[in-house]
Amino acid sequence: MEIFGHLLQGFGVAITPINLFWCFVGCFLGTVIGILPGIGPAATIAVLLPLTFKIEPTGAVIMLAGIYYGAKYGGSTTSILLNVPGESSSVVTCLDGYQMAKRGRGGPALGIAAIASFIAGTLGVIGLTLLAPPLAKFALAFSAPEYFALMSFGLAMVVLLAGESFVKALLGMLVGLWLAGMGIDLFTATSRFTFGSPDLLDGIDFVVVAIGVFALGEVLVNMESREGGQMLPVPKGLRNLLPTWQDLKDCRFAFLNGSVTGFIIGVLPGAGATIASFITYGIEKAVSRHPEKFGTGVPEGVAAPEAANNSDAGGALVPTLALGIPGSGTMAILLAAFILWGLKPGPFLFYDNPQFVWGLIASMYIGNVMLLVLNLPLVPVFAQILRLPSYMLFPGIFGISIVGVFSVSTSLFDVWMLAGFGLLGYMMRRLDYPAAPLILGFVLGDSVERSLRQSLMMSQGDLSILVSRPLSASMLILTALVLIVPLFRKANAWRLKAAG
Amino acid sequence: MAKEEGKIKIGDIVSGAVLAGLGVFIIVEARGWEYLGPDGPGPGFFPLWYGIAMVALSLLLVALSFVARGAEPGKAVNWREVANGLSAWAGLALCVGLLKVLGFLLGFGLFVFFLVAVIYRQPLRTAVAVSVGMAVGFYLLFPLALKLELPVGMLGF
Amino acid sequence: MRARSVIFNAALVFAAIPLLVHAQGFTPTKPVEFVTHTGVGAGGDVLARYLANVMEKEKLLPVRMHVANKTGGGGQTAMAYLVEKAGDTHTISLYTGIWISNPLMLPEAKTTMKDLTSLVRLLLEPGLIVVKSDSPFRTFNDFIDEAKRNPGTLKQSGSLVGGRDWMLRVLLMKQTGANWAFIPFPVMGERLGALLGGHTNILLVDPQETGEHIRAGTLRVIVQIADNRLPPYPNVPTMKEAGFDVPNIPVVRGVVAPPGIPREAVAYWEGVFAKLVRTPAWRKYLEDNVLEDGFQRSAEQSKFFDEYAETMRGVMREGGIKIVR
Repeated sequence: MEIFGHLLQGFGVAITPINLFWCFVGCFLGTVIGILPGIGPAATIAVLLPLTFKIEPTGAVIMLAGIYYGAKYGGSTTSILLNVPGESSSVVTCLDGYQMAKRGRGGPALGIAAIASFIAGTLGVIGLTLLAPPLAKFALAFSAPEYFALMSFGLAMVVLLAGESFVKALLGMLVGLWLAGMGIDLFTATSRFTFGSPDLLDGIDFVVVAIGVFALGEVLVNMESREGGQMLPVPKGLRNLLPTWQDLKDCRFAFLNGSVTGFIIGVLPGAGATIASFITYGIEKAVSRHPEKFGTGVPEGVAAPEAANNSDAGGALVPTLALGIPGSGTMAILLAAFILWGLKPGPFLFYDNPQFVWGLIASMYIGNVMLLVLNLPLVPVFAQILRLPSYMLFPGIFGISIVGVFSVSTSLFDVWMLAGFGLLGYMMRRLDYPAAPLILGFVLGDSVERSLRQSLMMSQGDLSILVSRPLSASMLILTALVLIVPLFRKANAWRLKAAG
Repeated sequence: MAKEEGKIKIGDIVSGAVLAGLGVFIIVEARGWEYLGPDGPGPGFFPLWYGIAMVALSLLLVALSFVARGAEPGKAVNWREVANGLSAWAGLALCVGLLKVLGFLLGFGLFVFFLVAVIYRQPLRTAVAVSVGMAVGFYLLFPLALKLELPVGMLGF
Repeated sequence: MRARSVIFNAALVFAAIPLLVHAQGFTPTKPVEFVTHTGVGAGGDVLARYLANVMEKEKLLPVRMHVANKTGGGGQTAMAYLVEKAGDTHTISLYTGIWISNPLMLPEAKTTMKDLTSLVRLLLEPGLIVVKSDSPFRTFNDFIDEAKRNPGTLKQSGSLVGGRDWMLRVLLMKQTGANWAFIPFPVMGERLGALLGGHTNILLVDPQETGEHIRAGTLRVIVQIADNRLPPYPNVPTMKEAGFDVPNIPVVRGVVAPPGIPREAVAYWEGVFAKLVRTPAWRKYLEDNVLEDGFQRSAEQSKFFDEYAETMRGVMREGGIKIVR
């Protein structure tokens, strides 16, 4: 087949020592910035951009792409060990990852995250290799009504994220929607819920909310007890720091589910890895034989979102390379880089610069192997962090959180907001409000409102646009199912209880 | 929802009331914005609906906690624990407030000292060592090695 | 939700350059901070870093210049930061049109251009209106005619209400009596995707963003928003040539300083940028990115701010936006 010829040619490019070197540099840098909360791949790529003029473009793009997908490997580390989401897309990894760490299984969780990342990263690149042109067309068919349906499906995941109280989960989600609505309304230039403060005109940064509610809330709860010793158990011996065969077997479906869902959502320019990871987690829980164990530290709960956010990288490159439409924020910067290097991103890139495109794709296969080899040995090393006594570990998390937030905007206002959300996260834990629904509402709030309003503008106010298009209609049906099925289950449970 | 028993009822009632208040605030604000404009839903459309949902659900939460009252005795709140958590937060807030004046190095160092010495009741020597080590470590890692900007105080660092 | 972006200000460390003695009585003596309200990697940030680079290469400054990203608040965070730095001659900032327009319509945007010191205007970005290649609209007039025949059915992929594309639509609808919908998408990828997917009919773009789509024939330019035809598009009429008498609302970029800096400092910065815009590197940058040279000195630019604000007030009133200042 023609594609394999191209791919072989690409490997010819990627396997040269200099390009292997750039691939390694990218993967390594990516892992590092992925571990640090706040600093993301987009900014790193932007800062390194001027330096890439001295390199040949293929080598440069191999390195920059390495930063992009490498960051996704690193992002899970702090999520699992410290409950600090390293990247926005690893918030969901906190849910079960941190619980695993708390039960002394931090090492296995890190290992599963690395393996899930590898499998999904590779499957994502395979998807990119084989399906780029047809999928790019699919991405274009997606418009506001389809996005609305997808976002509604995402919001319906709240059903699956709810802990003991469904009402509290919904309330948390509504607060998330409210927080997401802060700032200037694109459609009317009205400012909403800014309390007269110019600092809130652009809304609240995701990092501030996620780190505040997840990381600081957790730390404050831990500080309730003055126990000064080691907080989390870390078993001795290398074997206990790596996932067991049973763990991997349990995760089989999660790897596949995450890879496919993450890839497809990654292709869409208006949705991202964070949404993908929420949806994958929801699907995983819905089909699981023991859904009640999710959120208490099951390996699938780590594998699914980690897989989703890694195969997203391959997906995001589909519209970027095939159409010249950035598949995500980071991709927009990468596209700008193409232009600076004298390449012409757009529908002709595959034909004009096959060496460049196929060299990049081939390098991603190699990069994923490098990342696995780089990350697995780090697992036992990172797991040692948990051996720190709590009077060192928890203050350290405060420090990392402050640095992570400040580095995003250099604004002390944001650090104040962080402290505020930390208090909110603490109260939520004390009062048994789950944190994930709030984050879900916050991530999706903007898109769900926007896509609904866009749809109705397109149809001149006719609501039928949402159900008359096959793609959006089928997703809305799925959404309804997600909402209705648990009600039946609950009703059944009550009946059984009453009968028993 | 049937599992609501055994939880701190008072917390549900208070948080429900606060959220109902927030919902009312959202509704009031949303009423000030256009609900349906010539081009479709206005800026007030979405907030109005989630505001209404918030009021409804929070009232439901309050109602449920009254219904479930007495079913099982609620767990008593350990106020000493809460006091610990809140004083750690107060320390954080103070630290954030001091960042502008003292800068990250000093402000964070003092905060760590407070946490180790007061919250964790470690010996003074440990507290000094941890706070100095932590502040210096952060300084070496972020501004020096990674060239990240940290809050700078009036003393110039 | 705010887009993510990060600061690595100090990451670009420039070599110190020997001190140059200046006649005007002011020369920077310590590193200069170059503020931008956009995050790392966004348009304004890229330009700021490019300018800092040219300054260094051409040895225009005796000290190094580093970029500081003060993001948030639709430019207000950066503006407030400058006000806080009143009298500081070692801080300058890049601005764009939203620094002028946001205070007009947002009550929270309390800092205006009047609170800052005008230095120089640097460039104007022209625009192109594009359609998908299989669109029935061969010319912009075709589009307008259809929008008159069936008001409200045609759609424009837009940036945001209050943006340049929105303002132009308001002006054109007023002038021609046509009517079409303006659907905002926050990022370029979605705007372009909606057009290419056939969900919207027209889109206003920067020439540089979509040059390749036009070359590949997936997009077609039907009219250009520029005073004169841009070199890459000699056969496409300008708005005026197509018969539409609307002002070219430019996307403008220039430099301002904190309030209360001495006149010598203003003169110094004017001089530095006057030299910069004559460098071959800058000319090439303008040409590569299909930008117009919009150089103006401080006094001229102050007048421009007032005129621009006045034009915007008119458009906003027409478009139904409440003006707060």
